[in-house]
Amino acid sequence: MNATPPGAAVGIDGLRKHFGDVRAVDGIDLVIAPGEVVALLGPNGAGKSTTVDMLLGLSKPDSGSVTVFGQAPRDAVRSGTIGAMLQDGALLPDATVGETIALVAALYAKPLPVAKALDRAGVADLVGRRCGKLSGGQRQRVRFALALVSDPDVLVLDEPTVAMDVETRRQFWRAMREYTSTGRTVLFATHYLEEAEEFADRVVLMRAGKVAADGSVAQIRATVSGRTITAVVPGAEVGALRVLPGVRDAEVRAGRITLACVDSDAALRALLTQFPLASDIEITAVGLEDAFLALTAQESA
Amino acid sequence: MNTTYLFLELRRSLRSPRFMIFTVGFPVIFYLLFSSMYANSDPDAKTVLMAGMAGFGGLTACVSTGTRIAVERSLGWQRQLRLTPLSPSGYMIAKAICGMVVALGPILLVDVIGLATGVSLNPAQWLQVVLGTWVALIPFAVLGVLIGQVATGDSVQAIGSATFMLLSIGGGLWFPPEQMPGWLRDIAHVLPSYWYGGIGRDVVMHDIDAGTTVLVLVAWTVGLGLVVMRRFRADTARV
Ligand SMILES: Nc1ncnc2c1ncn2[C@@H]1O[C@H](COP(=O)(O)OP(=O)(O)O)[C@@H](O)[C@H]1O
Ligand SMILES: [Mg+2]
Repeated sequence: MNATPPGAAVGIDGLRKHFGDVRAVDGIDLVIAPGEVVALLGPNGAGKSTTVDMLLGLSKPDSGSVTVFGQAPRDAVRSGTIGAMLQDGALLPDATVGETIALVAALYAKPLPVAKALDRAGVADLVGRRCGKLSGGQRQRVRFALALVSDPDVLVLDEPTVAMDVETRRQFWRAMREYTSTGRTVLFATHYLEEAEEFADRVVLMRAGKVAADGSVAQIRATVSGRTITAVVPGAEVGALRVLPGVRDAEVRAGRITLACVDSDAALRALLTQFPLASDIEITAVGLEDAFLALTAQESA
Repeated sequence: MNTTYLFLELRRSLRSPRFMIFTVGFPVIFYLLFSSMYANSDPDAKTVLMAGMAGFGGLTACVSTGTRIAVERSLGWQRQLRLTPLSPSGYMIAKAICGMVVALGPILLVDVIGLATGVSLNPAQWLQVVLGTWVALIPFAVLGVLIGQVATGDSVQAIGSATFMLLSIGGGLWFPPEQMPGWLRDIAHVLPSYWYGGIGRDVVMHDIDAGTTVLVLVAWTVGLGLVVMRRFRADTARV
């Protein structure tokens, strides 16, 4: 049984994988359309790398299926349809950057010219350098060049910017933008909220092996961010509170109301107009970061 | 076979100090040293020494190349290669072929130095010493791959060095089997390196049993090849 529509760039269907007692990936369904740039966002241990490994055919799912443009992952790798930059990918310390890229290019039927891959990844100046002598950020960019040289339709990146400093990170994303502007599909795993916000069209939030939320950046932001107003409002009903301008959700408990707001200013004005007796008002900001943590925290808390 | 891959492997070998010392430096130095010490006035001894040291260099190069598999696995390079069209079996075959190509270096070098220092053979004998020795390295290329499969990145250097030293000494590459104690000579007959070394020694000794030599070396190749394949299936099934 496969729920993936034809033409999807990536189709993940009922995917599961466990290691001993740990259910690393616990039932994931995901369809990515061609041209989408998707962030797989989640804290460490959420199951991002395990998902990515199965997408690349590096490990076998316990159950469920993965297709890449209708192909099995191994076939997609072999045909150069999918390319990847792994979290723990290695380079040969005694080979130069140029040799490494040329070697991998030579394994494909239709690679990018080596110089072009080096250039796009911003490592053209490192071509003669031994891989063992690169800094962490440089290594990451060389591995990015390795992922680009097969000229893949779908690019998968697992925590691509972890070892990079701010400037390198900026360069990296600039190169990524160039690549995605050609209509290519990208899935990148990250635990940096800002990266997901800034570079993805769509964010898939993962928590404990499951998809906790899935939507556009604006949708995710609306679900997780904003301010909260609490107040004592005699006689207020949830129904009336929910329809106040700027309010996303409302709750009444023991005479105290809680309003989850998209626009707390508008909500407060409307609240005071309609319920002039409101007292003991508090407004707290829920940062995107806090909300993200709340959304991805373990449910056991 | 991908020539880009092959050339990179060759360049990496030339860059490796360890490789240059053990597989190129040692055979050349020991040939020059021993031949000036013991064989200056004995052309036959010099020829045997040349063939032995060329064989030692070739064997070392061949086995060492395969053992890099273990190092590259522990680095994570094989995982990286699994993101390319190169199959795991293709990777191992490439390593075996590289071992064969790399081994040509020390064989040719020692033989050329032999020629320059007065070893005199007819063309057929040179062919036997160079080409015969080289072709007979096939089982050792497979052995190198096997060690690369089973060893860890930490243990592989010790295992690899012990293997090529024991095979070289036990096979009569360092000193001829005639000089071995009897018990060692009995053991030597089981080793593929004894028959491998016999090809070069024969130009002086004229004692080769061509049929048995081929048979033993083919048997070792097939036997080691089967173990490699078995191990390979077990490894890929574990994914
Ligand atoms: N090879 C493995 N053996 C045992 N447990 C693993 C293995 N790989 C991952 N895990 C566990 O699975 C969970 C998900 O890990 P991972 O996919 O690496 O998360 P992420 O990439 O989101 O940080 C973690 O609890 C991790 O400890
Ligand atoms: Mg990870």
